[in-house]
Amino acid sequence: MSEPERILLIEDDKRIREFVSSALEAEGYRVFEAGTAGWGASEAARHKPHLVMLDLGLPDRDGSEFIRDFRGWSTVPILIVSARADEKGKVEALDSGADDYLTKPFGVPELLARVRALLRRAPVQRLESNPIIEFGDFIIDCVGRTVSKAGQPIKLSQIEYRLLLAMAGNPGRVLTHRQLLVQVWGGQAADNHEYLRVYVGHLRQKIEIHPAQPRHILTEIGIGYRFQP
Amino acid sequence: MPHEYSSSEEDVAFSRLIGKRRSIRGYLAATLYILAGTLLTTPLRGVLDLSNVALLYVLAVVLNGVRYGRGVAIFAAVFGSLVFAYVFVPPHFSLAITEIQYLLSAVIMLVVALLVGHVTANLRSHSEVVEAQAAQNKALYEFARQLTATRSSEAVLETSLRFLERNFAARHAHLIGPEQVHSAANALADAALIQASRERRQLLTRPTAVAANVVALLPLLTAESGHGVICFEVAASQLETQSQREFLETVGSLIAVALERTHYAEVAQEVELRHAAATLRNTILSSLSHDMRTPLTALVGTADTLMLAPMLPPEKQHALLSGLREQAQSIFQFVNNLLDMARLQSGGVELNLAWQPIEEVVGVTLQQIKSIAEARQIGLSIDPDLPPVLIDAVLIERALWNLLENAIKYSPADSPVELAIRRLGDELDIAVGDRGEGLPTENVEALFGLFQRGHAESSVPGAGLGLAIVKNIAEAHHGRLTANRRKGGGSCFHLRLPLGQAPCLALEDEA
Repeated sequence: MSEPERILLIEDDKRIREFVSSALEAEGYRVFEAGTAGWGASEAARHKPHLVMLDLGLPDRDGSEFIRDFRGWSTVPILIVSARADEKGKVEALDSGADDYLTKPFGVPELLARVRALLRRAPVQRLESNPIIEFGDFIIDCVGRTVSKAGQPIKLSQIEYRLLLAMAGNPGRVLTHRQLLVQVWGGQAADNHEYLRVYVGHLRQKIEIHPAQPRHILTEIGIGYRFQP
Repeated sequence: MPHEYSSSEEDVAFSRLIGKRRSIRGYLAATLYILAGTLLTTPLRGVLDLSNVALLYVLAVVLNGVRYGRGVAIFAAVFGSLVFAYVFVPPHFSLAITEIQYLLSAVIMLVVALLVGHVTANLRSHSEVVEAQAAQNKALYEFARQLTATRSSEAVLETSLRFLERNFAARHAHLIGPEQVHSAANALADAALIQASRERRQLLTRPTAVAANVVALLPLLTAESGHGVICFEVAASQLETQSQREFLETVGSLIAVALERTHYAEVAQEVELRHAAATLRNTILSSLSHDMRTPLTALVGTADTLMLAPMLPPEKQHALLSGLREQAQSIFQFVNNLLDMARLQSGGVELNLAWQPIEEVVGVTLQQIKSIAEARQIGLSIDPDLPPVLIDAVLIERALWNLLENAIKYSPADSPVELAIRRLGDELDIAVGDRGEGLPTENVEALFGLFQRGHAESSVPGAGLGLAIVKNIAEAHHGRLTANRRKGGGSCFHLRLPLGQAPCLALEDEA
């Protein structure tokens, strides 16, 4: 049995820290706790966690700021835990490099599912090591630049293909509109959310059975999209 | 600052000049008339009787007198009789009057001139008074009309000051409130004068350094209470006559009545607001006490049971725990609704509008609703090729969620819930239908109010906020929410959103 995966939990509310860490420990993870951003940064440097869970409203500084600093030296996935109801804060945190978010109150099963998804995810290595992405009946061949469903090739335009690749390469992760626009169209298109919606619509028509009730390309309303394999 | 007052001095000089010009014109006209008449009648001297000729001169006197007043009439009479005597009365071209009757006719002409002049002058001054009064009445009527349109004391005051400035060329006009009599003493007025004006309930004036101007204090008095005094500087000529002063005092009482009206209207509105706030507070409190206490009681009770009876069989424990979670979730939902409503009502919501395909919002809502829909099937029908709508997706999702939640909550667990989206003219119609017991027969609109529930004390948890939130969201999008009973039982809610002209996107599709 290998060493348990380490999770750093940065959250100022003691009761939430307690229940989250007991839920995670019950699943076999090793949990380190921190109550402030400063404390969290030193814990992160010391224990080299595999995942960081971060509350956005911290007593010493804003979570988004922490993320920007942390991304300077680490690519470890970050899961935001936030009581903020407005999307702006979440989008800001995601744009600065977080990978997913949970809105308080959240249930433990959902928390565990997100943690598992993020720990499983290593998109960069995956694309480098294995040029084939599979989900459902679909196979994306990143070398041949083809997509097929149950062995039948699917015709996608260049943009649709790049969009699908950007999402499928980051399964479970929330990608903001801005992140997708920059990745697919390049930096100058960062504000053209309408384009993105139209192409996501086209892509859904081609790969979803019920485009209005998608199974793979999920909308995070006001924020962006999440790809669910 | 003498230059400041120059405009009204110029006015006065100008009007005097006009008066002078007018009378000069009168004398000239009278002279010309008489000379021309004389020249015309001279050739007929042999034919016409002298008395007839004299009548022509009388006519000249009357006509000019009526036209130009007493002075010109007398002038015409004197000049006319001289010319008559010189030209027509023998000996011709001499002023020697030989016959006494011609002297008599000259005297009669003079008397006629005096009489005519007197009568016309009276008539003229009378008609001038009538005209001035008509103008005043018109101005008063206009002013009263403007005042009735005002809604606040500030507006009344502004309208009044503007009126004084325009109609009296008043300067530095301002209100001295009843409580500022002493503190307001300034360059224009002193406290004693203000006090005197209030006590004597009449317009008082005081000369200023500039001789042509006075400071006027206009008390605003009604039967009930004084509202203060309007103080302004005005040209003395504006307050010369009794009728001018009376006019100004009438203006003062109009202002006072208007101020009193707005004062009571403001009081009434305040009372109404306070009443509405109290009612809302009471409904919130009673709703809190019912809708919060119930789940909280269950929560505390369940937790206690679990703590006190650790030996419960696992399946029983599981049931209690899931109940615990459910209750907490319902409290969360309730608090969320309260917060949403507070945000929407305070106007603190900035719409984050974007052109969205409605399917995207529907997809998210259906995903979200799964947690409470359990096994309920939600029938979905969306017209193909719907244009994108300009919406705040998060808010519309919230509205849609509320409508679906309502439909699920208020209909039997085995009955279908349907969501249909189609285009209706220039609106997008989002319809949520159920097969529950339907809407109350009367006053369906009331359901959209705050803390309104179809059945008070219903066992279905909720605080009557959901539909109010949907209505607020619809209105923020310039849309509307309607509801109707369905044929065959149940109810249907329609969220209608206006369809604008979506921007055309140049898509670079290089398939």
